[in-house]
Amino acid sequence: MGTAELQGYASFFMSLFLVVMLYGYILHLYRSEKKGEKDYEKLGRIAIDDEIDSTPVNSSDPKSKENKE
Amino acid sequence: MFHWLEKNPFFFSVGVFVVIAFAGLVEIVPSFAEAARPIVGLKPYSVLELAGKEVYKKDHCIACHSQLIRPFKAETDRYGQYSVSGEYAYDRPFLWGSKRTGPDLHRIGNYRTTDWHENHMWEPEELVAGSIMPAYKHHFTNIADIETAYAEAVTVKEVFNTPYGDEIKAGEEAWNAYKPQVLEEAKAIAVDMKHPEVHEALKKGEVPEIVALIAYLNRLK
Amino acid sequence: MQSNASLEYDYSVAKLFTYTTILFGFLGMLIGTLIASQLAFPELNYMFGEYGTFSRLRPLHTNIVIFGFTLSGVFATFYYVGQRVLKVSMAESPFLMTIGKIHFWLYFVGALVGVITLAMGFSASKEYAELEWPIDVVIVIVWVLWGVSIFGLIGIRREKALYISLWYYIACFLGIAMLYLFNNMEVPTYFVAGGIGSVMHSVSMYSGTNDALVQWWYGHNAVAFGFTVPIVAMVYYYLPKESGQAVYSYKLSLLSFWGLMFVYLWAGSHHLLWSTVPDWMQTMGSIFSVVLILPSWGSAINMLLTMKGEWNQLTENPLIKFMVLASTFYMLSTLEGPIQAIKSVNAIAHFTDWIPGHVHDGTLGWVSFMIMAALFHMAPRMFKREIFSKKLMETQFWLQTTAVVLYFTSMWIAGITQGMMWRAVDEYGNLMYSFIDTVTVLHPYYAIRALAGLLYLTGFVMFAYNMYKTITASKRLEEEPQFRSPMAA
Repeated sequence: MGTAELQGYASFFMSLFLVVMLYGYILHLYRSEKKGEKDYEKLGRIAIDDEIDSTPVNSSDPKSKENKE
Repeated sequence: MFHWLEKNPFFFSVGVFVVIAFAGLVEIVPSFAEAARPIVGLKPYSVLELAGKEVYKKDHCIACHSQLIRPFKAETDRYGQYSVSGEYAYDRPFLWGSKRTGPDLHRIGNYRTTDWHENHMWEPEELVAGSIMPAYKHHFTNIADIETAYAEAVTVKEVFNTPYGDEIKAGEEAWNAYKPQVLEEAKAIAVDMKHPEVHEALKKGEVPEIVALIAYLNRLK
Repeated sequence: MQSNASLEYDYSVAKLFTYTTILFGFLGMLIGTLIASQLAFPELNYMFGEYGTFSRLRPLHTNIVIFGFTLSGVFATFYYVGQRVLKVSMAESPFLMTIGKIHFWLYFVGALVGVITLAMGFSASKEYAELEWPIDVVIVIVWVLWGVSIFGLIGIRREKALYISLWYYIACFLGIAMLYLFNNMEVPTYFVAGGIGSVMHSVSMYSGTNDALVQWWYGHNAVAFGFTVPIVAMVYYYLPKESGQAVYSYKLSLLSFWGLMFVYLWAGSHHLLWSTVPDWMQTMGSIFSVVLILPSWGSAINMLLTMKGEWNQLTENPLIKFMVLASTFYMLSTLEGPIQAIKSVNAIAHFTDWIPGHVHDGTLGWVSFMIMAALFHMAPRMFKREIFSKKLMETQFWLQTTAVVLYFTSMWIAGITQGMMWRAVDEYGNLMYSFIDTVTVLHPYYAIRALAGLLYLTGFVMFAYNMYKTITASKRLEEEPQFRSPMAA
């Protein structure tokens, strides 16, 4: 098998893999939101509410609302 | 898995890197060996030509001139045989350019002569009415750096196995021994030139930029 | 974490980069206007001897606007946005503060030396990678320092989720690092040749077609990761913040991100259509360039939809105008690019003025507009003063919008005219025009483009003046504005 063929196969399968991943990601996004595990749209608030003392949307402090996440 | 990726900046970065690096890996790396092979009979640039290529680079001729003839009839009619990969094997860097404000130069050596270049670089408008190319009068007084050109020849020979003769080797001594050869080559070109400052410089053992540049342009065939 | 009343975001590094954004922006656009005028009026080539010719100035223009203006803007906004979306202050970490300062000064000195060496004629002559190896080394260090800043800030963050803007900044960091390193692989000749010749000189590790492949893989993606990715990062933060509207669809923004990452790198070979690179690669370049419309438009449409129901802000707030127009130009140029990448279109468009026309849609309409809007938005927060003049901002907006329209329309016509004339044949199949015919015919379009440059530059001077007055003389603000930036009429 020449390099050109190898390149062809490599690019085809990598593309396929990444396309599957991307669709998997779309599924993941909508599914986890439907199940109520995670609210992605809430993350949009990070830019709006960005004072240094405002409550983080996803806090790194374990005591705050980790369980609500 | 996705959830985890979003929360781990490190692995997230690795993921991004893999996705963006992959195209380069597949596209570029494997074809390296094939594309680098020179066509039969291709000679490496002489030291004087390398010095000329430096002038070409220094004044960024690629801002307006390409060195790539595409396989269309309109282009081969205008500039000659279309370009093939192996012709560029000794071009470090490649000088294809991306814009033709002026014409392509890949085979300029086939249809322009030393005296044409000399007059043209001095005053482009006189040869080509309506030309918007600036005159490069400073090429007649600036001295080309042939020593650096020699250093380049040594480097490509040592590092990339470009087929230069044994007399091209590292060190001050080898350069001093080689220098007269470069001057001879320059004088052979200057025979067709009329500007007195060019001849004066050559007498002093210096090569004006214009001579090196013309050596390079004549070589483009 | 307790809220700490005395703790504030520290903008000292962001401010420094703001100044260089304005400085390099002015310088780069000034040179740009000059070289545009030189094409219309060649006599202008002789103002500064050998240092004033078009060919010597052109790389100065590109390098200053890319590595001076745009990068400064990217750094300035990062040191601002980064703190805010992570909800940590640089004042909390003396280490990061020091790194930030070193980052700035090394960058500034490196940029100045770069400008000087290019003007002197030290050049590797690879487009947008002209700087010679000693400056490349400095740039690598600057880049590493930026990386330390990014990941350092992330390391001490309070907000655990990374906002989408940060994703884009990280991608910019990684992408440019990879591209720049590989494209600038070069061997300094001085050391190999035993100490003869110039220390500055180097030869590329790659030759001919390989060098072309690597260069345009770089050239195309330097645009992607320098002119697109970080600017998208900006628009995702500043538009929501200025308008008070959260991003229309956060999920769409995530998807567009991965789409863009995946597709962009494949499209590089569209710069080499009809050249000597392998055919399949050219075809890949074409196809992926067209696919690229999807993620690009995903982001742009997301931005426009963010303004849904709030379009009245467009008339009331000139800053929103800047950003909405920037998004629109982003859509325009990401549509135009793929069209040019179609092989048959490329046969006409390549090597012509349509290409600089396309580039400037993106850079003038999208990149500069967004950076200026970001700077305007930051000024009242960083300097605690209201923006000096709304009227001046409005005038600037219309002046520059006119300039961009003039620029790309004239270059469209010029490019297509030129491309068609090069290939025109008479009834016997002979070429109809000599090359010089195709140059002289462009004079009016070059003149219009020079005028466009002048208008845009004038607008930029207004911007610089407005910023200067804001920083020094405008009315002080008692507290930080939440959304809309306050401005005096």
